[in-house]
Amino acid sequence: MISQYSGIVPKGDLIILQRLGEKLKGRSFLHINSTRAGGGVAEILHRMIPILNEIGIDARWEVIEGDERFFDITKKIHNSLQGNYENITKDMWEYHYEVNKRNAERLNLDADAVLIHDPQPAPLIEFRKSGRWIWRCHIDLSNPVKEVCDYLRGYCEKYDAAVFSVARFARAMGIDEFIIPPSIDPLSEKNRELTDEEISETLHKFHIPEDRPIILQVSRFDRFKDPIGVIKAYRSVKRYNDCILILAGSPATDDPEGEVVLKEVQDYASDDPDIFILLLPPFSDKDINALQRAATVVLQKSLKEGFGLTVSEAMWKGKPVIGGATGGIPLQIIHGVTGFLVQSVEGAAFRIRQLLNNPKMARTMGERGKDYVRNNFLITRQIRDYLCLWYAMENRGWSILEL
Amino acid sequence: MIEPFEFKQCVSIIKSTGKKAKNLKELVEGISVVSDESIFHHTYQYFLKGHFLEYSNDFAQWVGESLEERALSEKLSNIDPFAFNDISILRKELINVIEDYLKEFPEPREAMPNDEFYFNETITFIYSAGVKVKNLAEFLIAIKYIEPSSIYYHFYEARVRLGGRMDDFSRWFEEALKKEELARKIRAIDPFMHSIEGIREHISKAVEEEVSKDMWEIIKL
Repeated sequence: MISQYSGIVPKGDLIILQRLGEKLKGRSFLHINSTRAGGGVAEILHRMIPILNEIGIDARWEVIEGDERFFDITKKIHNSLQGNYENITKDMWEYHYEVNKRNAERLNLDADAVLIHDPQPAPLIEFRKSGRWIWRCHIDLSNPVKEVCDYLRGYCEKYDAAVFSVARFARAMGIDEFIIPPSIDPLSEKNRELTDEEISETLHKFHIPEDRPIILQVSRFDRFKDPIGVIKAYRSVKRYNDCILILAGSPATDDPEGEVVLKEVQDYASDDPDIFILLLPPFSDKDINALQRAATVVLQKSLKEGFGLTVSEAMWKGKPVIGGATGGIPLQIIHGVTGFLVQSVEGAAFRIRQLLNNPKMARTMGERGKDYVRNNFLITRQIRDYLCLWYAMENRGWSILEL
Repeated sequence: MIEPFEFKQCVSIIKSTGKKAKNLKELVEGISVVSDESIFHHTYQYFLKGHFLEYSNDFAQWVGESLEERALSEKLSNIDPFAFNDISILRKELINVIEDYLKEFPEPREAMPNDEFYFNETITFIYSAGVKVKNLAEFLIAIKYIEPSSIYYHFYEARVRLGGRMDDFSRWFEEALKKEELARKIRAIDPFMHSIEGIREHISKAVEEEVSKDMWEIIKL
């Protein structure tokens, strides 16, 4: 499988993966999360485990099991950690622990390194047998509900290290804390190369004309993604530049506010025939890929964001991206180099006009963006970082290590 | 027998120090107490990032972009980390520049929430890029295709290892190939004024000229 990445990812990443594979050969690396399908973590683990095995590491992936009550509690914990208040009672925390205890009895937790993803399986640390235990937090922890964060911290402090996606998500917990950004898989359905026919097929399916520049934002219908602001920016651009706006996202069935926001967006778009609001069903990866490839300019005008990997997805397709200066977006967009960071509707409109009127600048930015993603946000870099972290923990006290 | 040049490259993983600053006073406090690795990361390793040429270290960038203290940002950008043999002296210089500025402008603004400066440090891994060259012609091919982190390692990071203005490339040209003039040309490239790709172009051009010159001399013979 690793050979499929040759010529796509930096050669150095493949070299160091082999080198780390030799250093950690035959040693066991266990990943545990709470779902086998759906979500970015599962998506990456599906690809990561075979690659780890191929370079000589005995990698395993286990999934904890829980009932509806358990996942209702963990969803509340998740929301609270992202700053939305939820009441987590003592009973709920106890149930969270009990379900993990049952899983600990069922799972083989014996490994040289154990990476626990997110809060759902965090209590498993209480049942550690051996090896180095690392807690990997994929959540935006910049403004958590304090009581919930403090309770979870009781588990986290027992780990050997924690990993966060962005520096400002890290908490001072008295253990080693590392910053490892997430990544995209260049070979997945969402990111693989598409033929012109495949792109046209998607545009035809949604009746999108191909005769004018396309401005695109792919995101849930959520106020933090500022879809109304995107329409305002488009209207400001439209006075001078004829273009099409596509807002594409999945209907948020588990988010009652999603429907309200979608209705607001549809009302605000009114009957403008050049605004396309697309409700894509789950697993529309190929269509998203095609829309990103068909776009002239891609927006991610978020007001609040976790990491915002859709930015890297669009950059990987050579598109200039205009993003809100929030969350992980400034890590991906170097303002003026790989895209533009904006703070307002006016800023977004100005940058869209700039890019539509300077195709050369748009092309150069897109090329630089693609290179930047190649060097920083592909799956091989993330695997490399996890192995480097494990190796560094085996060689504590050194800030430079020669492999 | 000429000692071959082995291209190495490096990657780093970022470690949070748990310290952050929301204004200049806290930035000075942070710079005073963080590890040498953290100062190293925010200054020397700035060149590893796809930076734009307005700044030359993370402190200057944060002061310029997040605090909008342009004058201080210019002063911080003008600090040459390679001019110091010791990180403790670089640390002192950073503190002096900020403290002098604070004497003149004692009440600067604070960063917006979530836009604070986060002090990090790195653990760096060095490994062979799998390319060894024995002469200038081979070097020329390699430098055109080698990865950016290899150029960073040999051109920037080497200055910390070797001290002063020395980089691995010019040292090999001078010591192994006895090409003093080429070594001087490479040392004359301003490390602050180019991206890594710019450095690659300058080195390629200088080496290409040298290779052509050597070929003409052979033809003349």
